[in-house]
Amino acid sequence: MKKITLSIILGITSWMTNAQNTCAAALPISAGSHVVNAVDGPTPITILCGPNTTNATLSEWYSYTPTNNYTVTITTDLAINSGKDTRFNVYTGGCAALSCVAGDDDSGVIGNGYLSTATLNMSSGTTYYIAFDNRWNASGFTFDIIEQPLVVPVISFSPQTVSLSGTYNNCVVDMNGDNLDDIVSVSTSQLQILYKNTSTAGFTSTVIPTTSVTNLPTWSIAAGDYNKDGYNDLLLGGGNGATFLQTANSGTIYNSVNYAQYIFCQRSNFTDINKDGNLDAFVCHDVDPNVYFMNNGSGILTYNQGGLGDHTEGGNYGSIWVDYDNDGDSDLFIAKCRGGSTTANINELHRNNGNGTFTNVSVAANMADPIQTWSSAWGDFDNDGDMDALVGASSSANGMHKLMRNNGNGTFSDVTAGSGYDTFSSMGIEHVAHDFNNDGFVDVFGAGNTIMINNGNMTFSPYAVTPSNGPIGDLNNDGFLDIQNGSTIYYNNPNANHWIKINLRGIQSNSNGIGARVEIYGAWGRQIRDVRSGDGFRYMSTLNTHFGIGTETQITQVIIRWPSGVVDTILNPTSNQVLTVIEGSNTLEMTDNSLGNFTMYPNPTREYIRFNTSNSDEKIKSVSIYDISGKVVKKDTASGNAVSVQDLQNGTYMIVLENEYGKKFSGKFIKN
Amino acid sequence: MQQKYLLRTFLFLSLLAFVFLLACNSSEDTEYTPVSPVSMDLTRVPYPKLSDYKFFEGTLKNLNPSYKVIPYELASGLFTDYALKKRFVWMPSGTKATYDGDGKILKFPVGTALIKTFYYDNVQPSETRQIIETRIMIKKSVNPVTLQDEWTFANYVWNDEQTEAYLDMNGSYSPISWKNENNVVKSSNYRIPSETECLMCHKSNERPIPIGPKPQNLNFSYTYTDGTKNQLAKWVEEGYLESYSDNIVSTVDWKDTSKPLETRVRSYIDANCAHCHSTNSHCDYRPMRFAFSETTNPVNLGICVAPQENIDNSLTYIITKGNSQRSVMHFRMSSVNEATRMPLLGRTIVHEEGVQLIQDWIDSLDPACN
Repeated sequence: MKKITLSIILGITSWMTNAQNTCAAALPISAGSHVVNAVDGPTPITILCGPNTTNATLSEWYSYTPTNNYTVTITTDLAINSGKDTRFNVYTGGCAALSCVAGDDDSGVIGNGYLSTATLNMSSGTTYYIAFDNRWNASGFTFDIIEQPLVVPVISFSPQTVSLSGTYNNCVVDMNGDNLDDIVSVSTSQLQILYKNTSTAGFTSTVIPTTSVTNLPTWSIAAGDYNKDGYNDLLLGGGNGATFLQTANSGTIYNSVNYAQYIFCQRSNFTDINKDGNLDAFVCHDVDPNVYFMNNGSGILTYNQGGLGDHTEGGNYGSIWVDYDNDGDSDLFIAKCRGGSTTANINELHRNNGNGTFTNVSVAANMADPIQTWSSAWGDFDNDGDMDALVGASSSANGMHKLMRNNGNGTFSDVTAGSGYDTFSSMGIEHVAHDFNNDGFVDVFGAGNTIMINNGNMTFSPYAVTPSNGPIGDLNNDGFLDIQNGSTIYYNNPNANHWIKINLRGIQSNSNGIGARVEIYGAWGRQIRDVRSGDGFRYMSTLNTHFGIGTETQITQVIIRWPSGVVDTILNPTSNQVLTVIEGSNTLEMTDNSLGNFTMYPNPTREYIRFNTSNSDEKIKSVSIYDISGKVVKKDTASGNAVSVQDLQNGTYMIVLENEYGKKFSGKFIKN
Repeated sequence: MQQKYLLRTFLFLSLLAFVFLLACNSSEDTEYTPVSPVSMDLTRVPYPKLSDYKFFEGTLKNLNPSYKVIPYELASGLFTDYALKKRFVWMPSGTKATYDGDGKILKFPVGTALIKTFYYDNVQPSETRQIIETRIMIKKSVNPVTLQDEWTFANYVWNDEQTEAYLDMNGSYSPISWKNENNVVKSSNYRIPSETECLMCHKSNERPIPIGPKPQNLNFSYTYTDGTKNQLAKWVEEGYLESYSDNIVSTVDWKDTSKPLETRVRSYIDANCAHCHSTNSHCDYRPMRFAFSETTNPVNLGICVAPQENIDNSLTYIITKGNSQRSVMHFRMSSVNEATRMPLLGRTIVHEEGVQLIQDWIDSLDPACN
């Protein structure tokens, strides 16, 4: 009876609307049912808000201005449309500056599943433009606008398009040294970088020609400052080999370094394999033993094969460098995959022995699983101080996803049963761990346009999201992680939760602090992150360390355990802000004035910092002084073994001395 | 110059006379058994040069087969950037292959060589033929314990002068432009595979195997120098095949529009996709089973089967009936991105006619998936 009443009401409010061919001629509509006779308006759709990649040639336009804040559903997923195939985009910003709000293609379930539906929160008085297009079909259909009281979703994203000219748009990382995430677009002979604007929203696009790139990042891309000039370099993993793009001239020039060796690249990473303070590179090889490139300290990488996953048939898809045994160095887990009767699909865990050698501990650790996987997501899902793993299935042939809890003793236990992953049937090649809703628990973004939100007790609940897998970073610097899909950025709609972001600047360690363990403490206890270059399968995501802290606001301390062994401790940092930590700037030994073989004095000082050396043959190459925000305030050659600090304001400064051999040492002084 | 010409003519005439003598001799009672000049020392192969095998007589680049080196073709072949191919088979004297099933590789004798040469015609700018590589698979032994065939790969890359091809298992690129039959100039950064790349397609349970010479792919007429004959019959006649079923379920030439569209499609997919999408192959963890013998089942073809790897949300099934634009197979065949294209190896440009074939077929399928 109720149903009948509802359909009568709908029938009354339903009316035939004439096709509206342009945004300017959009037909104002209100909640109810509307009929589109045919999609024949000659306005091409080129701004795509939903998970789409193909433009459309014809469209029909409607405008809708809610009179209250509502959660609104726009849907063609109606029985009357069964068997049809629709698509729509929703914009704000006026016809001259359309800005994506939402869009959908196939979220409908009626008929063949090609109908569209989107639910989003809309603001009172804002005009929304709804454009249906002929991507799949130009024939007519009915759509409903349904207003409901405002419901705040657990997680949602708002699309916004950017203009990218390159072929491979798989990298979100800071490229100009300002610690803000930029967007990198790679082509054969150029890089396009969208530099995040410092003080305003949006990006500034720069196109930089490169020398010829032999291997494009078809399979993966990784970023890290391997020549230690303060700007990130890139590693491009192609189907036949690897190419590096190395910065020069303060990140304004990129020179390609193409390696001739045949590598069927899969996941690639930057990591400091031998802990000499310089980033090395690692590349998964699909069909041969893995390869890696050792850094000689001058930004020259030497190709190596052997010792880091040597199965003769390869099967290496998703490498991730993670300190699973909390011993201060990065271990290597490899998600593996291979058809046929072979052992090449058995996942491998290689423990870093701390001396440049590795031991395959897969079996002892209970991680030698034949699951067909292309990536695994690692995070401390239960906040007990060690890294757990979600090994993500790409195929069900050898079993589905496995959630592995770190037992804290070098072994893992399968805790999939009852975790939410036992009933999650979508499979895929991308699995990454981040706290997307800033509640203080690490979530997993994997297959099926679904984020598995961590319930805080080692169980996960699926939440459908519009974006697909892509590079992740904070592209509007609001403390909530966003997702890039090609030329669409899906901005994470913030909730009330609090956060902190920590940017590292390594001195003795590699300059990105890759391999560092970051810990934050507060009412929740402890949270940890490992700084990684290259997670999931294909994409490069931000190198900045991000934590959500839920409703808490007070962080009692942040501890950075650098690969060099240096430990920085920052007490009571402010939440909802970015904290930049220079290696050695917050060590607990406040009175240590030694910088390698040099000693600085006086400290505190008013006019000069002077340097003594125990080794009279050793010369100073340069001295850099940073303020507490990590900004360089002075660079000097320290002629006469002294640097003037008279022009500096009173306060605490970080000092980095580089000797003539290129070794760097850091310390702290007070100007008074 | 004149002298050289005379010398050549003299040699040619002597050769002719010799052949004539042989022919005369054979008709007489004195028994003469011709011997294949092919050299196949299984302890020494692969040889450093293609010519070392003596598969071809006369000028090497003419690929004029020696005695007992038999040309063959497959009903439908793998697309490799429009490269043209010549295939030959050779087996040691007194040995022959046996039939093991319509869709299974013939059981070849130890010492068998499968020889496949890749070349282009009308290569720019000189509009000449250019041979790029000759790939050989040699059956070296049968493992006495597992009874598995032990095949080895030998890949020979031709020199610029086209006088010789040298063993090279490391893989390389050979950029090439050519004019096709429609006078359109096409280009490819042609990839010569490394040994590992050979294995990726030519394997079962990580052990090397041939792909093409199955009865289903050979069961059609071929025009030999001495007339037209069914290839399997010819092989029997040559002593290269014990026997074969007279009721072989066979693939067809996908270009032959007189054949049913679905059979052409299944033949094309068998030749281009089944080497990875079969049990015990590189990607057997994916649900598709693309061998000709298995694609009578629509599920094995991926019809209305959801993909496990999401490339684009609009690609809802491997084959979306009636809608090629929503079909993963169509998308991957149209892609040149290494990470999304299919086949994974063997092509860098789009096989337009192949895509059209698949598109016509998908768009003809109904009713829609639901």
